[in-house]
Amino acid sequence: MWFSKAKPHLETDVIVIGSGGAGLTAALAASQGGAKVVVIEKSSRVGGTTAVSGGVLWIPTNHHMRAAGIADSRAEALTYIKRLADGRSDDALIETFVDEAPQMLKFIEEVTPLKFAALPRYPDYHPEFDGAKPGGRSLDPGLFDTKLLGPWREKLRRSPVFGMTAMSVTEATEWGVFAKPRALPFKLLGQRFSEGLVCYGGALVGGLLRALLDRAIEPMLSTSARELLVEDGRVVGLRVEKDGKPLVLSARRGVILASGGFEWSKELVARFLGGLITHPNSPPTNEGDGLKMAMALGADLGNMNEAWWCPSIDIPKEEYDGQQLHRGDFAIRSLPHSILVNRRGRRFVNEAHNYNDMMKPFFTFDPVSYDRPNLPAWLILDAQFVERYALLTVIPGMPVPEWIPKAATLRELAAKIGVDADGLDATVARFNGFALAGVDNDFQRGASLYDHFYGDPEHRPNPNLGTIEKGPFYALEVHPGAIGTKGGTRVDARAQVLHVRGTPIAGLYAAGNVMAGITGAGYPGAGSTIGTAMTFGYIAGRAAARAQ
Amino acid sequence: MPEVEYSTTMRLAPESVWEFVRDMNNWAPFLTGYQGHEIESDTDSVWTLKGDVGVLSRTVRLKAHVTEWNGPERVSFTLVGLDEVVEGGGTLTIGKPSELMAPARGPSLWRRFVDGIFRWLFRAMHGKGPRRLQTSRADAASQLTFKLRMDAGGPSGPLVNAMLAPALKPAAEDLANKIAAHLETLHGVG
Repeated sequence: MWFSKAKPHLETDVIVIGSGGAGLTAALAASQGGAKVVVIEKSSRVGGTTAVSGGVLWIPTNHHMRAAGIADSRAEALTYIKRLADGRSDDALIETFVDEAPQMLKFIEEVTPLKFAALPRYPDYHPEFDGAKPGGRSLDPGLFDTKLLGPWREKLRRSPVFGMTAMSVTEATEWGVFAKPRALPFKLLGQRFSEGLVCYGGALVGGLLRALLDRAIEPMLSTSARELLVEDGRVVGLRVEKDGKPLVLSARRGVILASGGFEWSKELVARFLGGLITHPNSPPTNEGDGLKMAMALGADLGNMNEAWWCPSIDIPKEEYDGQQLHRGDFAIRSLPHSILVNRRGRRFVNEAHNYNDMMKPFFTFDPVSYDRPNLPAWLILDAQFVERYALLTVIPGMPVPEWIPKAATLRELAAKIGVDADGLDATVARFNGFALAGVDNDFQRGASLYDHFYGDPEHRPNPNLGTIEKGPFYALEVHPGAIGTKGGTRVDARAQVLHVRGTPIAGLYAAGNVMAGITGAGYPGAGSTIGTAMTFGYIAGRAAARAQ
Repeated sequence: MPEVEYSTTMRLAPESVWEFVRDMNNWAPFLTGYQGHEIESDTDSVWTLKGDVGVLSRTVRLKAHVTEWNGPERVSFTLVGLDEVVEGGGTLTIGKPSELMAPARGPSLWRRFVDGIFRWLFRAMHGKGPRRLQTSRADAASQLTFKLRMDAGGPSGPLVNAMLAPALKPAAEDLANKIAAHLETLHGVG
């Protein structure tokens, strides 16, 4: 451990590293607890991974679902989460989450302008499992007017995918954003954009930031954490680099790591995830800075081989923060007239399953060929799809871009993309039979309430199954992506980081994707990432404020 | 439909400015986000530009067609997206400052300040000195006005136009200022 004798440039009670949902909630909770708080952010924008997300919170037994008449219970929530965690998480932390999350939600609504709405038709991601709900646990932050941020308006991170349009999750659901793109009120959305309204993760972070500014806490932007400082076995501050200059920040009560995952660090992804995340969906600043600093102090790690997986598609030369943007695919694979195949032209998964779990068969390893036969993977679509549904940013009626492989026949398309033509022909013939019958006998696509949520409710006989028979045919390569990594520092019920010997590291807390995820490999429902992140941020902030 | 107009002045006769502007090869690289261009004929070319749409940056190809060569006063052109549903057009107009802009509507103090900063930066980068127009030498002065309009089509057009609008004005200012600074440097009037 490093012992600090450097004179600090800034002294405070609590330092929060990161300005996503976990960090901003931790800062608000610590401030509410009477602590003087400093928030540092590596990028030049506030919001982290949360700001580019859907901004939804997954909170079991929340008061909004109760008001909407949707019953829920602690026991049901625990049963459901523990099944998904599959024994790979600490049961006590799952219980902590279920108990604290509703309190966190009330706290956020008390101290910020945010008012959430339950999404009664957004089902948990395994709605047929014991303890799951068909809706209500996922919460929509609604719209946020960025003019409320004053000069900080331009410093709010904007999502490249979610939130390019100011459309709340509730509206997106009601308007049929995926199934009926032509019917969207684009004129209204343009007006809202011009007026500075944001939604999804931008709305959530906007509300949190407004509350922080009301407490005279202005995040220090472009400030990278470099090293935790320790005195007498306690974390007492950290070294940072702001605009290229080294600074020493002192924290009397504690440092909270909320610095996000490590999905943009090729080194860490190679070491812990076999290099499998090639197309992360988050801001490129998520390089595991907080994780490395905690490891240097001997922090114990957990869930390191897991991520919040998400299949991803690239539009060539489309950039965000100076990097190729990797778009998460939530709907193309779920709507009728599409299938996902491997290089043998075979389907290998229920395409409409939730984005986290449907990614896992991408990594199937063949010990004989000693490779991964499901990579590369291709979405195959026909003309019926492009006539009805949005293809990335292409609305029906607009020309399909030239970069998307296109052919008059499936065999020609297979040759263009290097897929076995006989295999593809056979797969499509079999799938078309399923589509006409409305039952997928191979992978049960369209059997779950979750699948239907991302399908076309007006399509018969099954909202997720449509024939692939009308040329021209199109192909999109689907890459292994992730919203963020899910492994990190192990913590106790106070969100205090644990040393490899099992004892808490004094003065060091963690929340969000830098913390070992409590759901193991599972993804309980929309907003699980942010719901757990903000809950442990809330716990960490309160605990740090109370520390002596 | 997003549409912008921007004017700047130079210590050069309109004929000198026209000699430069009439050849698209001369000024195409000054377009914001310029990646490349191909001349297809006297009137047609394809421009590849990297531009911002909201927080995204996209590389687009635009087919430019010159609809009017009216030297030494004006060149007009249309633009059609080859990869995106977008069309538009613009004009580069050259004239004497007094013909195009009444004194009472001259550049604001802020505008002159910004122009001055831009030209100072240009001098710092290129080593020669474009300077502010000396109005006493109006016979050797030009005003370059760039009008640009872009219109996204398709059902999502109204939304895309809202996203495009904030990027157009800086693009028009950038092109006009770069042409002005380049020409003044080239002719040693700075």
